[in-house]
Amino acid sequence: MSAYQQQILILTGINVISALGLSLISGFTGQLSLGHAGFFGVGAYISALLTTKAQLPFALALVVGAFSAGLAGLVVGFPTLRLKGDYLAIATLGFGEIMRVLALNLKITGGPVGIRGIPHSTWPSTVILLAVLAYLLLKKLIDSHVGKTFIAVREDETAAEAMGLDTARVKISAFVIGAIYAGVAGGLYAHYIRYINPSILGFMKSIEILCMVVLGGMGSLPGTVAGTVILTVTPELLRSVSPLISQYRQVIYGVLLIVLMLCRPQGLFGGATYKRERHVPAWKLWGRRESANDIAQR
Amino acid sequence: MKSKTARILVVGLVVALLVSLLSGCSGGKSQTAPTPAKPEKKEEKEPIKIGTVGPLTGNAATYGVSTKKGVEIAVDEVNAEGGINGQQVKLISEDSKGDQTEAANATRKLVEQDKVAAIIGAVLSSETFAAGPIANDGKVPMMSPSSTAPGIPDIGPFVFRNCISDNVQAVQVAEYAIKELKLKRFAIMYTNNDYGVALKNAFEAKAKELAQVVGIEAYNDGETNFSVQLSKLKAKSPDALFIGGYYTEVSKIAQQAKQLGMKVQLLGGDGFYSDKLVQLGGDAVEGAVFSAGFYSGDTSPDVVKFVKAYKAKFNNEEPDMFAAQAYDAAKIILTAMKKAGTAGQALRDAIAATKDFPGITGTTSFAENGDAVKQIVILKVDKGKFVRVK
Repeated sequence: MSAYQQQILILTGINVISALGLSLISGFTGQLSLGHAGFFGVGAYISALLTTKAQLPFALALVVGAFSAGLAGLVVGFPTLRLKGDYLAIATLGFGEIMRVLALNLKITGGPVGIRGIPHSTWPSTVILLAVLAYLLLKKLIDSHVGKTFIAVREDETAAEAMGLDTARVKISAFVIGAIYAGVAGGLYAHYIRYINPSILGFMKSIEILCMVVLGGMGSLPGTVAGTVILTVTPELLRSVSPLISQYRQVIYGVLLIVLMLCRPQGLFGGATYKRERHVPAWKLWGRRESANDIAQR
Repeated sequence: MKSKTARILVVGLVVALLVSLLSGCSGGKSQTAPTPAKPEKKEEKEPIKIGTVGPLTGNAATYGVSTKKGVEIAVDEVNAEGGINGQQVKLISEDSKGDQTEAANATRKLVEQDKVAAIIGAVLSSETFAAGPIANDGKVPMMSPSSTAPGIPDIGPFVFRNCISDNVQAVQVAEYAIKELKLKRFAIMYTNNDYGVALKNAFEAKAKELAQVVGIEAYNDGETNFSVQLSKLKAKSPDALFIGGYYTEVSKIAQQAKQLGMKVQLLGGDGFYSDKLVQLGGDAVEGAVFSAGFYSGDTSPDVVKFVKAYKAKFNNEEPDMFAAQAYDAAKIILTAMKKAGTAGQALRDAIAATKDFPGITGTTSFAENGDAVKQIVILKVDKGKFVRVK
């Protein structure tokens, strides 16, 4: 394997870890989060500061970075007690922006220039090991009775509460665990690319990760991994095809997303784990006046 | 689509993607040993590959596309003259979207998969900070034609830069303003990113040393209303306003300053240098003085030749500073190749030894750390046109 392929593998692994975290928050617990890059950035910045300024060993810095991201998750988790749907999405978006503006204006984060000269400590084996571990841990969690509480909150919060479930706790723990995942990914990223700046906290980065989760299918772990692999690898593959195609690779990438969402709006693996309603492909609706729901309910 | 077949399809697609990533896209080239094992006669026939990394799509695309075009002109010129010691030069341009991760990927591909001899790029400073270490580790000389942030050449011995850093140009503008224009009370506005902050810091330090700084205000790219900052600065009655930012905002700041009745000499860095400055700013930017790396109105034969070739190839488009700096960077690398061949270390040493290279952006030498030492151009807006004052 050439170092180029290795690099894509590493970046895919990092994205998988981050996307798994968001999958728990949005996919399984149903809390739409648009600030995932904020958690990612906290992990990246804290761990990078610890290894560059405090000369801490990488493993320790990674743990502290992930822990700090978890703390941020706790802070964001609290508003979710009162906010739902669109309002929560806006609140998380605000969190991500706050983190970006903080990184942009603080002295210690290097302001707009960012932090450079971060030691290279992320190796393929580290990433693969952590990605597999992250997957297995999350699978174990989802399959356990705790995991069912996440899904219960997603399916019907009122009903879950009526069953005696502490929904506030469930939602906060989803945010904390999801944020820890993102924090680990951020720490790995910073120590692989060796340079970070506030752009890694940008809104578009959150959307990128959300795309991976939605494309793969909300509430599906294999789906999340598949979505992440596709969205990370495709732009790079399009580079290598031919100069003519690589020129339009961003366009192709966008078209691919649209086509996939038209054909499978529930995501690649969506609905495989928990079936909710029959899906009707978009082309069958062409020219009909009934909505997708009418047909599905038939 | 049945759910089972769909799942199989998806799994198949993912596996196919992974497999093609791991084996297919390299065309098996990665299996061969890195350098020495290649048969000699094949080396002679194959063209020398060089690469560019920069944003060809996205918000910063205009810089990356200009860079690519500038390098294309240089490569065309060298190939028309018979190439490098008989070998033709092939250019591989990679897109970075203006994103540091993408720039790192593009550079890794050029270094490891395409095995280019040298890279011109990256374009944005943030991209070069991420891409530079990769080229440096792979011992492939990389020369950024436009990453002006302080610290770029210090990434490593294989990373060069062919433009004047933000701190140098800000200092020179400050000196010119104080010594030639006899200005005394400076106000500073800057865009809150790496470019703006570097310009502000350097200008502030020099202006404080030789004269007086009366006020500093920040703004963000994309803002359209600067009246709050300008009112604050106006109260301090400055006689000059230095703006560390890009022409889009600069033209608006200039107009609003004029509306507020501020009578100040506008000063700035190479972010001013675009025809759009005058188009958007109108008579508000008249008289503005700023630094630049290149002046397309220059009458020296090399510049005229470059501008002519550029216009002929690209639909009568006027070359900008990015194209000119990229052209010079490519020429410096290709000239070094003629002397020292394409092997990483030898080529690096030859580039580092470049002295008084006569380019279209002035004569260029390299400092110990790989930073370009070149003269700065100071331009002035005079009746809606740019004229060179220094």
